[in-house]
Amino acid sequence: MPPSPAPTAVVADDERLMRDQIIGRLKQAWPELVIVGEASNGREAVALAQSLEPDIVFLDISMPGMDGIEAAQALAGRAHVVFITAHDEYAISAFEQGAVDYLLKPAEPERVALTCERLRERLKQKPDPMQDLLSKLSQRIGAGDLKPREYLRWVQASLGANIRMIPTSDILFFRAEDKYTRVQTPRFEALIRKPIKELIDELDPKEFWQIHRATVVRVDAVEQVSRNLRGHQVVHVKGSEEKLEVSRTFNHLFKQM
Amino acid sequence: MNSDPGSPGTNAAGNGNSGAAPTRSEFRRAPREIGAEIALLWWSFFDWLAVVSWKKLLLVSFLTLVIAAILKHPDPFILLIVASFIIKAVAGGKRKADLTASEATKRAETEQLERTVLEARMEALQAQIEPHFLFNTLASIDQLIQTDPPRASRMQQSLIRYLRSAMPQMREGSRPTLGQQVNLCSAFLEIMAIRMEERMQAVVNVPEGLKSAVFPSMMLQTLVENAIKHGLEPKTEGGRLEIGAEIVDGQLAVHVLDTGVGFTPKGGGGVGLANVRERLQALYKDRAELIISVPPTGGTCATIKVPYEIAPA
Repeated sequence: MPPSPAPTAVVADDERLMRDQIIGRLKQAWPELVIVGEASNGREAVALAQSLEPDIVFLDISMPGMDGIEAAQALAGRAHVVFITAHDEYAISAFEQGAVDYLLKPAEPERVALTCERLRERLKQKPDPMQDLLSKLSQRIGAGDLKPREYLRWVQASLGANIRMIPTSDILFFRAEDKYTRVQTPRFEALIRKPIKELIDELDPKEFWQIHRATVVRVDAVEQVSRNLRGHQVVHVKGSEEKLEVSRTFNHLFKQM
Repeated sequence: MNSDPGSPGTNAAGNGNSGAAPTRSEFRRAPREIGAEIALLWWSFFDWLAVVSWKKLLLVSFLTLVIAAILKHPDPFILLIVASFIIKAVAGGKRKADLTASEATKRAETEQLERTVLEARMEALQAQIEPHFLFNTLASIDQLIQTDPPRASRMQQSLIRYLRSAMPQMREGSRPTLGQQVNLCSAFLEIMAIRMEERMQAVVNVPEGLKSAVFPSMMLQTLVENAIKHGLEPKTEGGRLEIGAEIVDGQLAVHVLDTGVGFTPKGGGGVGLANVRERLQALYKDRAELIISVPPTGGTCATIKVPYEIAPA
């Protein structure tokens, strides 16, 4: 039987202290294991794993840029993966069903020893690509594509020379004006470049109603609806003197109960 | 009695009796019920009289007269109309005021309830400590105990200081000052500086003279935690964080600036900021505001403006 080469590993965590900790404990539990590289984010981990081809990659789940789950997806089948996490109950329950191991920070020496034992067994086989598990994990963690549709909660608008982030809950209405769209709040008005037509798709239809080709109003800001002399519905908004005309197409919105 | 397996005849008679008995008492109860019904009707008529406009009353009276003329018995109707006018003139004002008052009380009660709910929610949010932060910090302390015990001890002290500040507490009498709030934030920043190392440089730029100014609790912490969690931590190369304070137009403006990844308009980090906004509104109405802006250098700048007041010693 030829002597098998020493097993190798890459450790990725954005905090150096945590890398030192896991490396220290791995050395105690498995002296033959050679740590060939350290990474401080997912992208680095993937690059290192591709160039150094380690047997095992230890991946912290929350890392800047590319997180541990994404890195594992990129590495699928190339190396055995062990996830490291400080706290993630959802993820842990998923690991328990899967073929992959995980370590909780701070990793207790006994727990690290158990992981090493399992890894020694697993090294005899080819790495599991873990597709099912990873897609399940990324959904649970919120990186998956099954996320509910997200609407604008902040609008980035210019106010004089400054750029402001205005929470949608502060906005009374949007109004098309020449090349710009005016954002009206109780305190000030600001301008954005996005036309109403595009804006309406990004706003939560439960929060904002279009009442006119040129006007979108926040439903909760509506104080009352009256009729003007021409018989059009007119919306009065809390905190603004401006009256907003409702075009016939949108009359049904304010139909009497 | 129904379970009695006796002759079916007796049983039927018994049923007949028990069926008749309620009918008799119903008869006795009926006049009282009819009376109550009439009283109810009368009072709803009275309420209607109290709030209806004179114009409408005249119109209804006219219609009643028309019906009376058709029926050819106008007298009771005329009596009713005259009585209505007298009641409206005499008691209408008082009744109307009663109705308005009871409505106002109801509204005030709802508002009080809403305030209580809001306060409870605030306390719950104040007590929210990120488990991720806590476990990561404890793991770091665990590592430092082996490699650098004095540093481990300092980090643990910072953690204790941070936890104390994050617990909801009864601050009787004294109002929180900007100085206190900055101290509590620096505990958090010390922890993050050890953990993130060169990825985070923090600068606190608050003039001594402003530290005695009144500043609401836990708001600066929210801004600082947001700046790290949503600004600097997701950025691979990290960046700078600055806490600053100044007086602008008689208002105390405290800002937290970071050079992180910047704000995402969709979702993320909204809860903490919405909470700050809600509390500012509850404490100061329109005299305070939270402003989020994008500095020309990128990243995010969050500013809280409150009326400038010196805390009583």
